[in-house]
Amino acid sequence: MIGNDIVDLALATTQSNWRRKGWLQKIFTISEQDRIWDALDPDLAVWELWSMKEATYKAYQRQFLKAPTYNPWDFKCSETSVIVKGMQYKTKTTITSEYIHSVAFIHPKVINAKVFTNESLTYKKHLLDYISKTKGLNSEKITIKKNDFRIPLVYINNLQTDIKVSFSSHGLFSSYAVDL
Amino acid sequence: MTKEELLSKLKTIIEPYVQNEDGLANLSEETNFIEDLEINSANLVDVILDVEDEFNIEIDNDGMDKMLTVKASIEVIQDKLAAK
Repeated sequence: MIGNDIVDLALATTQSNWRRKGWLQKIFTISEQDRIWDALDPDLAVWELWSMKEATYKAYQRQFLKAPTYNPWDFKCSETSVIVKGMQYKTKTTITSEYIHSVAFIHPKVINAKVFTNESLTYKKHLLDYISKTKGLNSEKITIKKNDFRIPLVYINNLQTDIKVSFSSHGLFSSYAVDL
Repeated sequence: MTKEELLSKLKTIIEPYVQNEDGLANLSEETNFIEDLEINSANLVDVILDVEDEFNIEIDNDGMDKMLTVKASIEVIQDKLAAK
């Protein structure tokens, strides 16, 4: 099971004023808030924890085929994992000066995750190429469609597969994660 | 407060966060904040805080959980106003 999330740091800074009264309390637990204020760079800590929660939300939503909800507070972060309703997901977060990318997973096979720096659909093409290479299939046989809960599903010859993929886009960046 | 007044206030609140203006022009009860209006998910917190300020209510985690559509938001606001 897999989920991923990308944060464009420059855009996040202009889009959200996380120092606004009440903002942190709506999203983060007390210990997460402490971690933010104790961090050398609180701005970075906010978006690191946020991306961990979002990536885990996607993995959790896919695993249990949940209708979309808005409950970031339920996703409790520790160093490299997030617990939601008793389920623990591991997370791997990459931080650069421009973006933060988190991948959340549970019982993974082989994870492939990539970040792209343009807004075009390149990342989808790369993902299709990766799946086709791994499966030894012509990429034209593979399609990706979102279901009613906006969870992306992979089809081969129009038949739904259990290949787990996750997409994310924010500002200048796009990313995918796949587990197969 | 009528539903129309409530909807009009909600529209004013969400406007600054909307990235898809067509979605705003076609606003209905079925409108989904993230899918139809392309509101950034981190900005949903701002919508919720603005709603709290505007209506002088407190939205708990259960209310927040649902606030992804116009319809659900109106229901949450009406519930909280009735409980005041």
